[in-house]
Amino acid sequence: MYGGEEYDPADEDEEITQEDAWAVISAYFEEKGLVRQQLDSFDEFIQNTMQEIVDESADIEIRPESQHNPGRQSDFAETIYKISFGQIYLSKPMMTESDGETATLFPKAARLRNLTYSAPLYVDVTKRIIKKGHDCEEVTETQDFTKVFIGKVPIMLRSSYCTLYQNSEKDLTELGECPYDQGGYFIINGSEKVLIAQEKMSTNHVYVFKKRQPNKYAYVAEVRSMLENQNRPPSSMFVRMLSRASAKGGSSGQYIRATLPYIRTEIPIIIVFRALGFVADKDILEHICYDFSDTQMMELLRPSLEEAFVIQNQQVALDYIGKRGSTVGVTREKRIKYAKEILQKEMLPHVGVGDCETKKAYYFGYIIHRLLLCAIGRRPEDDRDHYGNKRLDLAGPLLGGLFRMLFRKLTRDVRAYVQKCVDNGKDQMPAGTRAGVSQVLNRLTYASTLSHLRRLNSPIGREGKLAKPRQLHNSHWGMMCPAETPEGQACGLVKNLALMVYITVGSAAHPILEFLEEWSTENFEEISPAVIPQATKIFVNGCWVGIHRNPDLLVRTLRLLRRRVDVNTEVGVIRDIRLKELRLYTDYGRCSRPLFIVEKKRLLIKKKDIQALQQRETQEEGWHDLVAKGFIEYVDTEEEETTMISMTISDLVNARLNPDDAYSETYTHCEIHPSLILGVCASIIPFPDHNQSPRNTYQSAMGKQAMGIYVTNYQLRMDTLAYVLYYPQKPLVTTRAMEHLHFRQLPAGINAIVAIACYSGYNQEDSVIMNQSSIDRGFFRSLFFRSYRDEEKKMGTLVKEDFGRPNRENTMGMRHGSYDKLDDDGLAPPGTRVSGEDVIIGKTTPIGQDETQLGQTSRYTRRDHSTSLRHSESGMVDQVLLTTNADGLRFVKVRMRSVRIPQIGDKFSSRHGQKGTVGMTYTQEDMPWTLEGITPDIIVNPHAIPSRMTIGQLIECIMGKVAAHMGKEGDATPFTDVTVDNISKALHRCGYQMRGFETMYNGHTGRRLSAMIFLGPTYYQRLKHMVDDKIHSRGRGPVQILTRQPAEGRSRDGGLRFGEMERDCMIAHGAAHFLKERLFDQSDAYRVHVCERCGLIAIANLKKNSFECRGCKNKTDIVQVHIPYACKLLFQELMSMAIAPRMLTKEVKPLKDQKKKGA
Amino acid sequence: MPRLSALDMPDVPKAQLPPHLEQQRTRVSCKSDAPLHTEGIQYSGAYASMGVDNSLRLDSFSKNFRVEVVRLTEDEIEFDMIGIDASLANAFRRILIAELPTMAIEKVLIANNTSVVQDEVLAQRLGLIPIEADPRLFEYVSENDTAHEKNTIVFKLDVRCKKDDGRIKAKSSELKWLPGGSELQMASTNSNPSTNPNAKPKTYTSFNCRQDSLPEFSHKPLRPKYGDITIAVLGAGQAIDLEVHAVKGVGRTHAKWSPVATAWYRMLPEVVLTQEVEDGKAEELVSKCPVNVFDIEDIGEGRKKAVVARPRACTLCRECIREKHWEECVDLRRVRDHFIFTIESTGALPPEVLFTEAVKILEQKCERIIAELS
Repeated sequence: MYGGEEYDPADEDEEITQEDAWAVISAYFEEKGLVRQQLDSFDEFIQNTMQEIVDESADIEIRPESQHNPGRQSDFAETIYKISFGQIYLSKPMMTESDGETATLFPKAARLRNLTYSAPLYVDVTKRIIKKGHDCEEVTETQDFTKVFIGKVPIMLRSSYCTLYQNSEKDLTELGECPYDQGGYFIINGSEKVLIAQEKMSTNHVYVFKKRQPNKYAYVAEVRSMLENQNRPPSSMFVRMLSRASAKGGSSGQYIRATLPYIRTEIPIIIVFRALGFVADKDILEHICYDFSDTQMMELLRPSLEEAFVIQNQQVALDYIGKRGSTVGVTREKRIKYAKEILQKEMLPHVGVGDCETKKAYYFGYIIHRLLLCAIGRRPEDDRDHYGNKRLDLAGPLLGGLFRMLFRKLTRDVRAYVQKCVDNGKDQMPAGTRAGVSQVLNRLTYASTLSHLRRLNSPIGREGKLAKPRQLHNSHWGMMCPAETPEGQACGLVKNLALMVYITVGSAAHPILEFLEEWSTENFEEISPAVIPQATKIFVNGCWVGIHRNPDLLVRTLRLLRRRVDVNTEVGVIRDIRLKELRLYTDYGRCSRPLFIVEKKRLLIKKKDIQALQQRETQEEGWHDLVAKGFIEYVDTEEEETTMISMTISDLVNARLNPDDAYSETYTHCEIHPSLILGVCASIIPFPDHNQSPRNTYQSAMGKQAMGIYVTNYQLRMDTLAYVLYYPQKPLVTTRAMEHLHFRQLPAGINAIVAIACYSGYNQEDSVIMNQSSIDRGFFRSLFFRSYRDEEKKMGTLVKEDFGRPNRENTMGMRHGSYDKLDDDGLAPPGTRVSGEDVIIGKTTPIGQDETQLGQTSRYTRRDHSTSLRHSESGMVDQVLLTTNADGLRFVKVRMRSVRIPQIGDKFSSRHGQKGTVGMTYTQEDMPWTLEGITPDIIVNPHAIPSRMTIGQLIECIMGKVAAHMGKEGDATPFTDVTVDNISKALHRCGYQMRGFETMYNGHTGRRLSAMIFLGPTYYQRLKHMVDDKIHSRGRGPVQILTRQPAEGRSRDGGLRFGEMERDCMIAHGAAHFLKERLFDQSDAYRVHVCERCGLIAIANLKKNSFECRGCKNKTDIVQVHIPYACKLLFQELMSMAIAPRMLTKEVKPLKDQKKKGA
Repeated sequence: MPRLSALDMPDVPKAQLPPHLEQQRTRVSCKSDAPLHTEGIQYSGAYASMGVDNSLRLDSFSKNFRVEVVRLTEDEIEFDMIGIDASLANAFRRILIAELPTMAIEKVLIANNTSVVQDEVLAQRLGLIPIEADPRLFEYVSENDTAHEKNTIVFKLDVRCKKDDGRIKAKSSELKWLPGGSELQMASTNSNPSTNPNAKPKTYTSFNCRQDSLPEFSHKPLRPKYGDITIAVLGAGQAIDLEVHAVKGVGRTHAKWSPVATAWYRMLPEVVLTQEVEDGKAEELVSKCPVNVFDIEDIGEGRKKAVVARPRACTLCRECIREKHWEECVDLRRVRDHFIFTIESTGALPPEVLFTEAVKILEQKCERIIAELS
């Protein structure tokens, strides 16, 4: 409308472009990095939550159980001891050596020496002794203990308490850290641990669900109410409306009933109201449906009113509830008191736990109101999977819960101890554990590390086959990556954060409450229920605080203040116009994301702001400045529902220029860039918008297995397993997000020249042909590192294990590997070539004389406890680290290195979920060549393309070709206006066939290939699955002792199962005797002697040639049979269960007789 | 109707193939979807029914075979090989890549390596450095052979980055030739620990004389072909001290012994305008080609026509015949027995010598077959 008229070239000039948005994005990542959620959450815990938890704990108050001391009169009538905790102090991470020396700890040392990167925690303790004299005068003695050590707190790397906090890149390198490492994890006993964010339903929120009929109930409203800062499980309340069908002759039967905590049966809602002190029908109805002219709703309440007709006063109602509680056989008064207590403390605790019946009644009424709205059909049921209804528990809250529990335990222990001391004159971390919350940080590739730090888990329903919680929901847009999720069991339950998500850390609610007070919000004391329908209800964190008559103005000012950072930017403001509600949220764990603010179809951010941003010199102004200036705001998932977001800036311009074609006139926000909906792993895929969606999911999983350089300091680390590529390359075809993922600095792949062709047939069924000459020249060669560790454990007080070269003369139980590689100190020195089962760490334990057989002094004085190399691996000793651990014991790590050259069977993949193994390697002269003499590095089969629809790979290939020729990087960011046509034209300008085809000559015959070949550079990844780690065969080998079945697994030289299907094959071939020979005679045949009379195993002494069945007193009728050992074991196991399996070797007469008789 | 042999048809000239068959025999044609008739017709009697002899004869081959050098630089040659079958041309190519010997570093004895580059990686890098040594002057090392002056070249690399040097690059020019053989002493021999301590210390080579005393090398020291290849980057205080042994080998065993970066050929393109392409269409055609195969010629009266000016440049992108109906005007062909051969040498031998060596090897192979057959 006015867009056209107000057209002003100067003004138009100020509009920013999509390209400028990337400057904003860069500013964001520069300031925040990629693991901000972890760091923010932990900092919040350290800086606020911890102190709050300490403050929250009540003083320990102890009165001595006065012992009667005859003859001795105490000076005071009563003495009270009070212990209170005050300020807490946390120092930088420290480490106390076994000799008592304390020094600051650096992450590198913690990792290498298997220490815990933790900081000591101190607290001020005040002891007060209040002595009450007989004359009622009080004497108080106060004693302060400052900085009492109470425990150690693990510190998250790069958080504000970490030693690396705000170190420059140079300092980090000097400290032996990788400057690209983002922190966000802990080091516990030397292993890097991530706390995986846990998803949960948001509390204090009313959900109304329709029940699937047939069901007793038609509708259910539920609230899981939880007081903030409390470690109790949420108290749920359900309000249910019965189905009409269940009524048998009743007036209408649609009673509404509520479940209260600790009450066994459902209570009619009216009774709950009466118990709360609202007796009159009118009062009650006022609290539920506010508007008496709403006959539809009133009608629905009628059956409930009738149901509760018999109970017409508060006492009776309370008694009604009390009778259904857990107390049985107590007086009416006690029951009433009990019921009252439940209503006050247990029902809807978030509304209040004191005297606040009015508020509770209003809230209870509101729940019923919502239920009825849904029942009438004015509102749809709530969506359980909407992401606005989900909260994320990150490291901070998870640790907070743990700390609260431990601190409680500490106070409890202190109390018990003090009590004991007072009466008469004595810190650790086991607590309720949750499995799978902390995981060892994945260090295979840099991208996998990043992705692991941004992972998210939904704890419930892994077995449940309900598909809905696993599905991608609309509200995941921009918050969760749509591609990156594992396949199989955890599909859709384990998610990954999108690139630009901000998880709120939580802020205090009281500034909001004060603000509301100031802006004339009316609370319940001031209003009559009759005005509610006209006004807007205001909720803060799910708690109804009052009403407001001018919500428009209120919301506008709130938003304005938030944009000016007068109100915390992470506060969510949701105005639900239809419900006449205003919901404000300040709690932690909400997902939110930044968006450009749009006013009058124009972005508030202008070109000059971008220019200022790009030309800024200090780090001071940056992203937060853009937020503070009100160009950008954080919008959480729930608030997002009340916005109108334009996808691109050009959409906005179009809406202004021709409003008739515009999708909307009322844009409130604009996406910063649509490609930011992807997560870490999916952002590495070029042109993901041209691929079939599961392919992006596959690549997201495979990118985590690709080799590359996982950290720059890998030579200084002793990871148990590491793969490093000789010559990693940055991709020719990149996405914009890669810049922030440091994929160019720490790449995981090589730009291979890939031809898509059928050539010789060695690339069928997802295998590839690889150029052996390229491999000779270093193509995809990689290094493999494995670290072995051992320590000199103390056994008892005196005996200690020793590193050293074991001596065959006096050492028991030596390995069969070679001990020659060991030096005098018992360790293989760096540069030693080791293979097979060579011993690399020699260690022995002295044997106590008592252990050896009685009397005979054995020649052995020590037992071997050496570590040998895995039997299938070989390599060189790369580095040996010998230090002491936290207990001062000698501790060693040995790193082995070997070269992995690509060979037939190794696994490779492009970035489009196209994985394949090497089926053949051809030298250069056998490879086809183009008219420029180029031979491909990899030939993949064309059949891999059509059914998988990975068009992105084809586009990557031609863009790669253009990029290689222009000497530039190609931009493959999704949702931009790069088209295949543009790329083709550019390629054609470079003098090539525009779609990337080439004429090629056959390397074997020298003739032209009769097809054009699609050829160009494509970024390939080498995956960690290599044949050399998998190849396995066994003729004979170790067996399990109990069953004598072959051991399992390659690492134990285990057997390969000849299963029932293989057995079927043999039978079908008519090779039954072969089967018997292989599976029985040559396998686990076992000779037993059986008593012919009873059929049980007899005693045989072959030396003395005597046979006996003790049970039958039989020494003659014994036969020898051959049975499988497994069978013998089964018989013995059955016998242990008092079942007698009898082996009958002759036809049993009586049985036959019986049969005859029966016939 | 009288029975008539196909050869007696009036439009069939004697002892000559009809033009479409002749084209099929001598040209590979390229249509917009894919090339046609890529395989040659080998059988001598393929056209016997038409009275045409298709057999290959030595005299006609030696009469028609030509080699024309187009371009020759220090390390690259481009020449046309005309009148030869693809199988022979390919044989030369394959021999060039895989069977011509060169000298390359095979053994790396590392005395000290404190750089960040792992020993294995360093050794692999060293192996790929081309060495300027005529392989014809050396012998192959057989399995039980000791390293002597006739089969091994020894280089030494000893670079050290001083504490305050910042970072330095170890370049291939720092590989120093040791004409006297290895300088590293072998650790006391395992088989006989009680060797005479006065004996000459045993090294990893047993040279009978210094290599620089030999006439072939006395005036021309052996060295890596290029001095500017980065071997490793050293940080402050890091050092590399090693000795390398280069031996003779062929590209089939490992690409480092290949004397060429690559050697390949392509068939001579032939672009024919089957119809006159004039005026606007001509200009369109010229602008279509990214490598400017076509040109415009004035044919008077302000009219223009397209001509094929540079057919050799054609890359067969087929852009000119991609759109409808253009296939009728332009015919893209390749001459089946005309090869544009390119050899890129890595530097051990000049490219023209490489080709003659390849011919010699093929000759030897043929002789071997003949010897074995007779």
